[in-house]
Amino acid sequence: MRKPLGAIALSIAAAVLLTSCGQGDTAAEGEGSAEAGTLVVYTNSNSEGRGEWLQAEAAEAGFDIEIVGAGGADATNKLIAEKNNPIADVVFGLNNVYYEQLKKEDVLEPYTPEWSGEVDESLADPADEKAYWPLVQQAIVLAYNADTVSADEAPKDWPELWTEDEYKDRYERVTGMGGATTQLVMAGILSRYREDSGELGVSEEGWSQIEQYFSNGVPAVKDLDLFARFAEGEVDFGQMPSSSIPGREEAYGVTSGAVAPEIGVPYAIEQVAVVKGTDQQEQAQEFIDWFGSAEVQGEWAQEFDSLPVNEGALEQTKPEVIEFDEQFTHQDIDWTFVEENLAGWVEKIELEYMQ
Amino acid sequence: MLRSPAVVITMTVLVWFIAAFLLWPNANLLVQTFFPDGQFTGRAVEKLMSSERAMMSLGNSFLLAVTLALTVNAVGIFIVLVTEYFRIRGAKVLWLGYATTFIYGGIVLAAGYKFIYGADGIVTKFLAGIFPDMDRTWFEGFFAVLAVMTFATTTNHMLFLGSAIRNVDFQTIEAARNLGASSWTILRRVVLPTLKPTLFAVTILSFLTGLGALSAPQVLGGQDFETITPMILTFANSTTSRDLAALLALVLGVATIAMLSVMTRLERGGTYHSVAKVAAPLQKQPIRDRGANIAVHAVAYVLFLIYVFPLTLVVLYSCMDSAAISTGVLTLDRFTLENYVRVLSQQSALKPFIVSIVYSALAAIISVGGLLFVTRLMLKYRGWLMSALEYLLHIPWILPAAMIALGLLITYDRPNPLVGGFVLSGTVVILLLAFVIVKVPFTLRMLKAAFSSVNGSMEEAAAIMGAGTLYTFRRILLPAVLPAAAAVAALNFNNLLDDYDTAVFLAHPLYQPLGLQIKANTDGGASVEAIGNTFVYTVLLMVVMGTVMYLVYGRLNRVRRSPRARRVPLQRVGGDAGTPNADLPEGATTEESSAAPLR
Repeated sequence: MRKPLGAIALSIAAAVLLTSCGQGDTAAEGEGSAEAGTLVVYTNSNSEGRGEWLQAEAAEAGFDIEIVGAGGADATNKLIAEKNNPIADVVFGLNNVYYEQLKKEDVLEPYTPEWSGEVDESLADPADEKAYWPLVQQAIVLAYNADTVSADEAPKDWPELWTEDEYKDRYERVTGMGGATTQLVMAGILSRYREDSGELGVSEEGWSQIEQYFSNGVPAVKDLDLFARFAEGEVDFGQMPSSSIPGREEAYGVTSGAVAPEIGVPYAIEQVAVVKGTDQQEQAQEFIDWFGSAEVQGEWAQEFDSLPVNEGALEQTKPEVIEFDEQFTHQDIDWTFVEENLAGWVEKIELEYMQ
Repeated sequence: MLRSPAVVITMTVLVWFIAAFLLWPNANLLVQTFFPDGQFTGRAVEKLMSSERAMMSLGNSFLLAVTLALTVNAVGIFIVLVTEYFRIRGAKVLWLGYATTFIYGGIVLAAGYKFIYGADGIVTKFLAGIFPDMDRTWFEGFFAVLAVMTFATTTNHMLFLGSAIRNVDFQTIEAARNLGASSWTILRRVVLPTLKPTLFAVTILSFLTGLGALSAPQVLGGQDFETITPMILTFANSTTSRDLAALLALVLGVATIAMLSVMTRLERGGTYHSVAKVAAPLQKQPIRDRGANIAVHAVAYVLFLIYVFPLTLVVLYSCMDSAAISTGVLTLDRFTLENYVRVLSQQSALKPFIVSIVYSALAAIISVGGLLFVTRLMLKYRGWLMSALEYLLHIPWILPAAMIALGLLITYDRPNPLVGGFVLSGTVVILLLAFVIVKVPFTLRMLKAAFSSVNGSMEEAAAIMGAGTLYTFRRILLPAVLPAAAAVAALNFNNLLDDYDTAVFLAHPLYQPLGLQIKANTDGGASVEAIGNTFVYTVLLMVVMGTVMYLVYGRLNRVRRSPRARRVPLQRVGGDAGTPNADLPEGATTEESSAAPLR
């Protein structure tokens, strides 16, 4: 009996040792966002090196930030779920629909940044006391592989993909509803079929469009990029936010085109805001002042082909980005209507149309 | 009993714990599903019933559960027979191969299989080089999930069926042979009937594992094979659709409870126990038919390769450089320790590992430490109240992990008087709580067994000599049960180390445990480095778990014959890729230990 006792004593000692270091750790963990100066930033705009770039640049400017990345809708849900005990201090990159939702749920702390005069106020929070301010905007487009499809052959608008036989089974359709881009595409289609007496404000015709979108498309493959599939010739059409196009063209060696429907395309106006209940309000505000400034937004635009809202940053924006953007008109979407119904739409699509 | 302050405190804490963490969150789940605003609503039911996708995934889950119960039994019974019953060459080596699932399971195993057989996997790339036209996604969908889960969950068979078969009285076998029975008849008519209760138990466990499966369908199910638990996860993330998640979790819960009550009923029915006064140890049976013998040997070694191959590749590739991992090359001159250096030196790579170790250790110690007092009280003061409390402590055992996690999430995402008005969601505490909760039933049963086997006269002697309750507990009882308690803590630690199913609901975004990191590395368009990291995590996990297992069993087994040695039945380690909390079935604890029977 002696020997096993010894072994067990040893393992207990090891366990105790682990916990004692552990407790130190958890004590620090418990403070969460209160940790000396670390700002927790939630965003959906951290891929393709954006997160790393921002973290490094912010560190140089004296901000210690930690980035938590998630899809637009997922990040929104997370913020709402955590509203009674927020982890995040700042949220940026989501589009106005989500910010409106966050504001309704009382997740945001109103703040007017130093650079508020340099941006078009109509793109910010419509309320008088503004809780969120715009950083960049981008068109959500239907992209096609220009190496195999000429501009004439490409469809003129989204619905052609599933109504015209020549496009069926050649476009990529989504397999999850958590992404901001996806939800905007859906909003862009559904709001064309607004009918107040219809299910969730949409006519039957509208829902049938969605059904056909799902039944005629090629399912997306998790983490296989649309442009990679262009290169492989698996699909020829699919959704894409405009700022992601140049980088991907280069990465996968394809040329792409974008469809410019007459009705216009949905625009994502990506915003920034302070999260309510942060214990580092001042820090968070300073970070927003820095990040939204003409200088940093200009660098961001240079690095990641974005189209900044800050007028001062436009000078540093790549001319081809501006040119690309000029071919589109803004689709006229009633954002209040979208915001009210989006959660219901997503749920219905998840349950009934997603296969 | 109320005179001792220690008793009063323990009782208060116990009742509070049960009310706040076992009863209310799950009851609240019901309330939120059907009475979200105080009014009954059938919204969630209607929505789900009319959703083809939801019904399909329900069907898939039950399909998986039923087929898994069959396949796991087929493979499980076979490997137990070849390692314990038949005379097979190299049975010890075979046993080691099959036993790898003790230290390699759950999300880690699913990830490993994906890196090897998945669309970009090492083996797939190799095969595609030979057959360019092959379907690269061959290892995906129902077949892949079933295969992976089958080979990952035979652990229960090795444990429970293995020990049951060792207990078969050899005299009955000899008697049957003397009466002229063939080997096949003996197996079918003598051996298997005695194993019936254990077989029921492991069948139900396999069924439940399939029903609640999360990581394997997520990683390998692909588009066409979706099951319930991943759907629960999808809806749990959205605050407006949580009632759907709750309802799906309830369906799982009800199915689980139904299966367990069937099991208890079956157990009460006639079981064959050999109750020989002097049981003769089992001698391994030769297979006389030459053809059959060769066939059994062949199948046994093929299975061995299936078990060991992925693991071996993971270990080998953890020592290859990135280029070799991405191209699938395996040569000695690409050998490098760079993956290990990266994981152990980069804070971001090491952090999930540390987080997991801290969480698991804390949960293991809290559950064992707390229940030491509780178990003691339960044995000392028997009565209706205590038995009621004991039953309630088994709640986590009958509910799927996803449901427990969801209950905590929707109950404590706002200030609640039960926990002093604090909000628990978004803190690091909530996952720790869930870890403790899922470990309660197993810990309780094990500790109860340990306490029961303490010689009662020692305690009486202490009391006669005037020792107080606490003093007796501290100086007499605690030392006696400490070895068992430490062993239970160690097993809990092992079991939680690679948890994914609970953490995916509750983890703090900045302190993500290893399971989540490994899962993220399986998608994320994962960089080669991330894959290398996962290989290293796997090896490190196996080293840690293996060491713990050795400390608990390796050393104890050597003194197995000592009358006071208390063996703790093994616990499923790492799970299956399914519910991690289905630890021990009531009838499955037929361990030959000198510990008191578990009930």
